[in-house]
Amino acid sequence: MKNKNIKMILLFLVPVAFLYTCFFIYPLGFVLSTSMMKWNGISAMKFVGIDNYKKLLTNETFQLSVKNNIIWALSGGFIQIPLASMVALILARKPKGWRMLRTIYFLPNIISAVAIAMMWKAIYNPMYGFLNAFLNIIGVEGHNWLGEIGTALPSIIAQQVLYIGYFMIIILAATTTIPKSFYEAADIDGCSILQQEWYITLPMIRGILVTTMTLAMAYGMRHFEATFLMTNGGPAHSTSVMGLILYHKMDAFRLGEANATGTILIFLGTVVIVLIRTLLSRRDAGADSVQ
Amino acid sequence: MKKSNFLLLGLALVSIIGLTSCKEEAKEEIVLKWPCIWVGEDSKAPAVATLVEQFNADNAGSIKVEIEAQPDYDGYEQKIRTSVAAGIVPDIFTMKLNPTTKAYYESDLLMDFTKELDMGWGKDFNEGTVAQATVNGMVKSLPYEVAITPVWYNMDLLKKAGVSTYPKTYADFMDAAAKLKAAGTIPTSQMTGGSNAWTSMLWYSHFVASIGGKDVYNNLFEGDAYVKAAEVLLAMYSDGNTSMDAIGGDAGVSGGHFLAGETAMFINGPWYIGRVRGDAPEVYAATEVGPAPAAGSHSGAQIGFLQTNFAAAANAENPAKAAAAVQFVKWMTKAENVAEISKQAGSLFAVKYDSSTIDDPLQKKFIEASNNASFTVPHLAGVVPADVVSEFGQALGKMALGEATPAEFVEMLKKVNDQ
Repeated sequence: MKNKNIKMILLFLVPVAFLYTCFFIYPLGFVLSTSMMKWNGISAMKFVGIDNYKKLLTNETFQLSVKNNIIWALSGGFIQIPLASMVALILARKPKGWRMLRTIYFLPNIISAVAIAMMWKAIYNPMYGFLNAFLNIIGVEGHNWLGEIGTALPSIIAQQVLYIGYFMIIILAATTTIPKSFYEAADIDGCSILQQEWYITLPMIRGILVTTMTLAMAYGMRHFEATFLMTNGGPAHSTSVMGLILYHKMDAFRLGEANATGTILIFLGTVVIVLIRTLLSRRDAGADSVQ
Repeated sequence: MKKSNFLLLGLALVSIIGLTSCKEEAKEEIVLKWPCIWVGEDSKAPAVATLVEQFNADNAGSIKVEIEAQPDYDGYEQKIRTSVAAGIVPDIFTMKLNPTTKAYYESDLLMDFTKELDMGWGKDFNEGTVAQATVNGMVKSLPYEVAITPVWYNMDLLKKAGVSTYPKTYADFMDAAAKLKAAGTIPTSQMTGGSNAWTSMLWYSHFVASIGGKDVYNNLFEGDAYVKAAEVLLAMYSDGNTSMDAIGGDAGVSGGHFLAGETAMFINGPWYIGRVRGDAPEVYAATEVGPAPAAGSHSGAQIGFLQTNFAAAANAENPAKAAAAVQFVKWMTKAENVAEISKQAGSLFAVKYDSSTIDDPLQKKFIEASNNASFTVPHLAGVVPADVVSEFGQALGKMALGEATPAEFVEMLKKVNDQ
């Protein structure tokens, strides 16, 4: 029986392990090894040790990009997830039209990121954009939102964190697993809705909140699309992120440096994930059962 | 059946099968994939599509060229770079030859056209163009589209502002800019966005040439020319000399303002003629082209360069396919075919063709501007590596926002160039 089990386990695991090795372990090893090479992708590689890392870590634009990625991660974890949680908790109470609202909130997730970025680029346009037109109506002077150092990064982040649909759906699903009797008991005890959410819902979905927060922060660390499409890292590198540096290094055929950027990106992403899970999961292991 | 008869029968069968398969192989159509940017809204799209159709009809059953539409220019270059780095080369493609893409020449996967050119084909090209595409004695990309990028002046707007001729000097420019602003017109189209801040990079190249002369690129980012040209460019970003959305704006922004008749001066190549003619006929009718206002002692210079080169996969393991690719590129470089694209799209070419049939007034002005140039130099993006090109827009944004001086702007570019 034991042997049969082992055979079954192998039968199911080997194909996945094979694919995982081919499409993750091998590329990862390749990225790590070539990150210590000077290589343009066409001619022979030359070993340069940690020179690529030194070059990146002492580069001001790269340092700024790491900072921006951390801002992205924090915005995801501490703005997007609270917003998503708030909406999910409201919708979990099934107010009138909640199904339609759920669909509306989720809708941006099925629209291409390119289309959304282009739409926001038009909204932010200082001469013809909707935002400045609206501000002008209420007597506020317009702004070059994506063209000024102080506003470019917050403008891109703002349009991104508003799209809460994906996380909202996950949190909403988690709330359905909480037994109704908890709320009924709390109701009898005279708890207000806010107290019920605070003392029952949030602790019960803590595990899911940690998971969504981890996901949102991981997405922040690897953020690329909206910045590439809306500002290409400008103005003056103020919105640059590590993914964009990697892209530009590849564009310039500096594949060794590109892969060193990728390695740092993987490392920092892992650090953030481990950190957030350690900080938030420790206090309530029992809540994981809701996941 | 005797053993010898059996063997004979076997041999006969093998021969028949062999001959049949050879016949089938010979009949098999060669399909050439061409990821192509000349599609969709591109002004060359209709002419190129017609030529491909004609080629396919002429070679029906033996060669078929399939266009893979790639309407995003920057994305196209990225796709080609990634493909070459991954060791996969499209059967036919186009490329911009610059210090970064010269690395393609190191790849054995690209076809070397040298032999074909030496056998007489080379005479079809304008003098010096093949030499520009030669690296270490190899011609792995064929010069095709060439361009000059003069300044486009909307004379209606200038005249309405009280300026009768386009500005020839920097002082004239400042005077014209003041009058244009007073008349409610934005003087210049600029942009710091996109992958190379194209319009502003061209303005800068004009000023660098005007100040530093034809040998200005011999010592990149050294000497006064680069800083002084940056000062002039900064002036164009100051005091309302360009649109509010220039910082962060892309080619759609800079071109869009000119097409909409909102800016009076703009820079782009002849491939834009078709777009202006179709989308903004009034602007088209009012446009004059000429050198940029002289910012230094070298007036009348033009920015001229190989815009697009043809390249093909070597296909060493499949000589028939390689030969088919050569046949197609030869078709595309035939004088009458090039003349047709030129006529329809307004583009200029490295191939010798009869330009006397060109009846487009603006295209004629381009040819005139090219002939009248005191000298021609490439644009900056054509002489520096790709990372300097992408740094240009960032450094320009920094300078335009008052976060860097013109000297610091040049220093930023130099630093990346020295890496």
